[in-house]
Amino acid sequence: MKTDLGNYQTAASRRSHFRRPQLALDEMRQLKWLLGGMLILLSVWTVFYLDVDAWTLMGLTTLSVLAGLVWPAWPARLPRIFHTLAFPFIVMFFIGDLWLKGEMLPAMVRLDILLLLYRGISYRQRRDDLQVIVLGLFLIVVAGVLTVSLTFAVQILAFTGCALAFLLVITLTDSVEVKATAEAKKGLRGLITWNAPETGLPAWAERVDWRRLGRRLRAVADWRVLVLGGILFAGVVGVSALLFLAIPRFQMDNSLFLERFISKKARSGFNDTIKFGDVSEIQQDTSVALSVDVSDPKQVPAAPYWRMLVLDDYRDGGFRLSPRMSKEVFARERTGTALRGEARPKLGLQAQWTFYMESGVSRYLPLPGRFEQLRFREVQNFRPSAELGVVALRAEPATMTAYRVEGMDFAEALPDPIFAERWKSWSESAAGGRAEGLMQRRLELNAADRGALARVLAQIGVGKRPEEFSRAASAWLTSNHGYSLSPKIPGGAGDALVRWTASREAGHCELFSGAMVVLAREAGFAARVVIGFRGGSWNGYSNNFTVRNSDAHAWAEIWDAGRGAWLRADALAPAATAADAAAAGDGAIARRLDRSWTARFDSLRVFWYRRIVSFDARSQVETLQAVKAATETTGKRLRESLERAVAALKAWLAGPWDARRVAGLSGVIAGLVGAGWAMRNFRFWMRDFRWGRGGRKVDPVRREAGRLLARLREPLSDGARAAAGAAEEESVRLELERLRFGPQATWTQPEAVLRRARGALKTRRRERVSRS
Amino acid sequence: MWALVWPRGGERIVPTVSGVILIALCFGLGTAAYNSSSNILFITLSLLLACLILSGVLSWLNLRGVAWRLEVKPPLRTGQVASAGLALRNGKKFLPTYGLWFEWVARPMADPMAGAKAESTVTGKGIDVRAILKKAEAEAVRGNVTLRERLEAQGEVQLDWSFAPARRGRLRVELAGVGSLFPFGFLRKYVGTELRADVIVWPAAVEYRRLAVNGARRIGGSEQRTRVGSGGDLLALRRYADGDSHRLIHWKASARTQQLLVRQFMAESSQGYAVWLRTDAELWPRAEQFEMLVSFAATLVEDLFRAGQLHSLALDGEPAVAVRHGRDLETWLDRLAVVEFKAATADGERGGGTAPTGGGGRNMLVFAPDGTHGAAAYIDGQRAAVT
Repeated sequence: MKTDLGNYQTAASRRSHFRRPQLALDEMRQLKWLLGGMLILLSVWTVFYLDVDAWTLMGLTTLSVLAGLVWPAWPARLPRIFHTLAFPFIVMFFIGDLWLKGEMLPAMVRLDILLLLYRGISYRQRRDDLQVIVLGLFLIVVAGVLTVSLTFAVQILAFTGCALAFLLVITLTDSVEVKATAEAKKGLRGLITWNAPETGLPAWAERVDWRRLGRRLRAVADWRVLVLGGILFAGVVGVSALLFLAIPRFQMDNSLFLERFISKKARSGFNDTIKFGDVSEIQQDTSVALSVDVSDPKQVPAAPYWRMLVLDDYRDGGFRLSPRMSKEVFARERTGTALRGEARPKLGLQAQWTFYMESGVSRYLPLPGRFEQLRFREVQNFRPSAELGVVALRAEPATMTAYRVEGMDFAEALPDPIFAERWKSWSESAAGGRAEGLMQRRLELNAADRGALARVLAQIGVGKRPEEFSRAASAWLTSNHGYSLSPKIPGGAGDALVRWTASREAGHCELFSGAMVVLAREAGFAARVVIGFRGGSWNGYSNNFTVRNSDAHAWAEIWDAGRGAWLRADALAPAATAADAAAAGDGAIARRLDRSWTARFDSLRVFWYRRIVSFDARSQVETLQAVKAATETTGKRLRESLERAVAALKAWLAGPWDARRVAGLSGVIAGLVGAGWAMRNFRFWMRDFRWGRGGRKVDPVRREAGRLLARLREPLSDGARAAAGAAEEESVRLELERLRFGPQATWTQPEAVLRRARGALKTRRRERVSRS
Repeated sequence: MWALVWPRGGERIVPTVSGVILIALCFGLGTAAYNSSSNILFITLSLLLACLILSGVLSWLNLRGVAWRLEVKPPLRTGQVASAGLALRNGKKFLPTYGLWFEWVARPMADPMAGAKAESTVTGKGIDVRAILKKAEAEAVRGNVTLRERLEAQGEVQLDWSFAPARRGRLRVELAGVGSLFPFGFLRKYVGTELRADVIVWPAAVEYRRLAVNGARRIGGSEQRTRVGSGGDLLALRRYADGDSHRLIHWKASARTQQLLVRQFMAESSQGYAVWLRTDAELWPRAEQFEMLVSFAATLVEDLFRAGQLHSLALDGEPAVAVRHGRDLETWLDRLAVVEFKAATADGERGGGTAPTGGGGRNMLVFAPDGTHGAAAYIDGQRAAVT
């Protein structure tokens, strides 16, 4: 078989009337370089929201690629040895990274960025361009999977658009290049093997003027094609949404596979040890920590408390979760999606609370206390503690964590039968003079500090019942201390918390709750600190409860032996929620309604979580049922409308006929026939009329030539005419007249003539300005 | 729309490297998505699938409304570059067409007049069938022509494919298919076409030497021929064209018809030859030598005609045909293009053994082998030309 690839010639003759300019091959290569650079930048910017330490590489890549875009010739200055050593260096870097850090996924991400960096500063061939797309997609998908962030949606859409444009330019460039076929034949092998790029300066990179390219693109583009492109891209998004809804789902109960390759750490969250100021620091952050969907908004309490962690051990100026309690009160770790709580089931339909906890908040789930049932969206490893009313995940989640809770109990008292037993035993042993250590009662303070506390307690007036003590202590604390996120603790010896308590300095919630605990313990009550969130706002757009990090809060709980429960003792509660106390349900929502721009943006995030991230087999069934119901309803309505119309027509026809009705019917029929005839015979005329061209299309070249002719015919003084080059004008005028009125066969390079005419007009203008 | 779902016959869609990567990515993402129940992966998978659908729609739009017409201009001569033209038209309203390529094939045809029956390959051995197909493929000339520029909406363009036929005979020039990688290069789409043109390829021109011949006689003084020349007799009138001598204008006829007409005269030949070609297998046992004979005869005949010295032509035992016009020569060359060995008849009579009627009294050129490879033309037993 003989194959003759190069033996051809194109465009022997061309009979298209008006042609828009076309991009030259070098211009297409420049465009390809630009789009490739944009893709690389889009990909590496995932580091902004991906929790991987690759900032240096990202910065270096951004700078290098930007430099390559501004000065496309500079990659040619890299010595050949750079390209020779690049691959061994990248492999060594990856191995070293893996060996030193021991984390697979971050090492792969850094390897990916390094490869993109190299591709960004070397002249790419076709396979290299494909590599850029694959590497970029990997980065974005990994970031999306690990963070489940809304940013992923924006980024993948931008990446898709850019990648499609990139592929289109590659295809068009290849169709022009002679060696494209031979290149394509290298196939997959070429894609996955490493080939050092050509180091010489390619012709297209010698002189790149992006502004000129922009102007050329504008001249080349046809607005109708661009609009169609936009519609098609919107169609891609729509089709992908439909596919997303239609792809069958099977619940395989597997955990996120990528998580095992990366270790997480809390960025700003609550940990087992909290020092004074930690919660206040979280309060500085106004980002969303928790979005809560409520199936029945009427059950939203006036002042919801979302407890996350209980701290019992006070020492060294801070509270922490004592190792003993951590060991004793948390159940053995479970793996699954469901957890049955301690709250008793109630009659009737229970409200469902769906929580979307952002990554970086904590591994402890925000919960109101007791609940009937908790269900995770995906399989989790967790340890519940019924005593503390908290649930701890094994590790800090790197992604948004979704869980649904039923039968929530927002009561201020948290029953704790196990601690009740312990308290009873402790009380008995204390009475017998052999008190065992009880962390919730322990107060390791020196005599001076205890004396100071005793003096404070004397001012408070200690009640026998915890509620009384709580009220009195709260009143005393709020009357003696103001609220401030920048507290000042008086200097001196002894315990800092005691010093602050005894002073009149302002403080934040941690100091208030800490003071409450030490005072309660000094007064003989068991007490502990609870940290979490209080309050939140009701998003008026997405109708959900939004809790921000700025809602972080700490409060105290005092043991009520009589009720066998822990009572919430929040010294700051009266001042902060006095107005809210009266409101619950709709009232609470109305008071907390947020319709700001931030809420608008947050509603997008909630939509993302509700409809995309949390979409599962059940959601799919619900969606299909909704579609089915909507279809049935619409069909039913249509059928009813049709039946009504037919019945009305029948009734009209059955009515008594007279000349007026006959004339009316005849008129309608004649009108319909006339309209049909007119549409049949005048559709071409109608089309031209619609375009506003008086029924006759004018060639754009003729139109432009006519416009320029009219401007060239404007009178000019003799001096100006001489200066403007009368001979040139005359020549151009003749050519323009040929374009305007002559047969198309006599046209020679209309674009050049139009360009000359524009030049002549410009000369005229300059001359006119200089004379004036 | 149905064609999107069920492509017509001859249409093929083959994934390219990037298409294979995309499909592999889809499989990988799908597996990962089902294993992890991650909606992020499901979204990415949906986007990739939607891109694949978009690619198909754009590819369909790109080819929609594009029409092509095949033009092959004879004459075609063995070994010389010929040109096949393809007139392309984009009938779409505003969408241009990009990146098409056209696959051409020119393959020799069996002579339909030869009466060879089509043979079934059912009973043939695989190796034989493959050998036959391989031979047929080896004789085919293939080529690609690429539409390098944008074809505007309502625009037309002419693409030419140049090729050199390898052998004389009937040739079928086919537009085997139209391919496109547009828009994203995921899929290589072929559209089969049934555009073909059957042409005849004349024998190759060969070099030869003309030798002086004693006794070649002039035929009754000058002889006028009914073709255009510089003789004295009027042959016809035609319209005036730039460069025509004013002396040739026929003023009377011009005045009558209200347009300038010039006179054309008959050619005048002083020496004419009759050519007789014998194709006996016995005379030309070697196939290469027979091919040389055919090429030599075609070249010689053409040269004689140009020189105005060709009188008549005869093939084997057929009566001689007088050559007066160019079309007579073309008909003869067409016959030479497809001429084959003439096998001996059963009763031993050899075809073409008797001189043809109608050519008598002229200098008759006959051909005979010259050595083992060449051929020579003889007049009355004397060599007049030799390859």
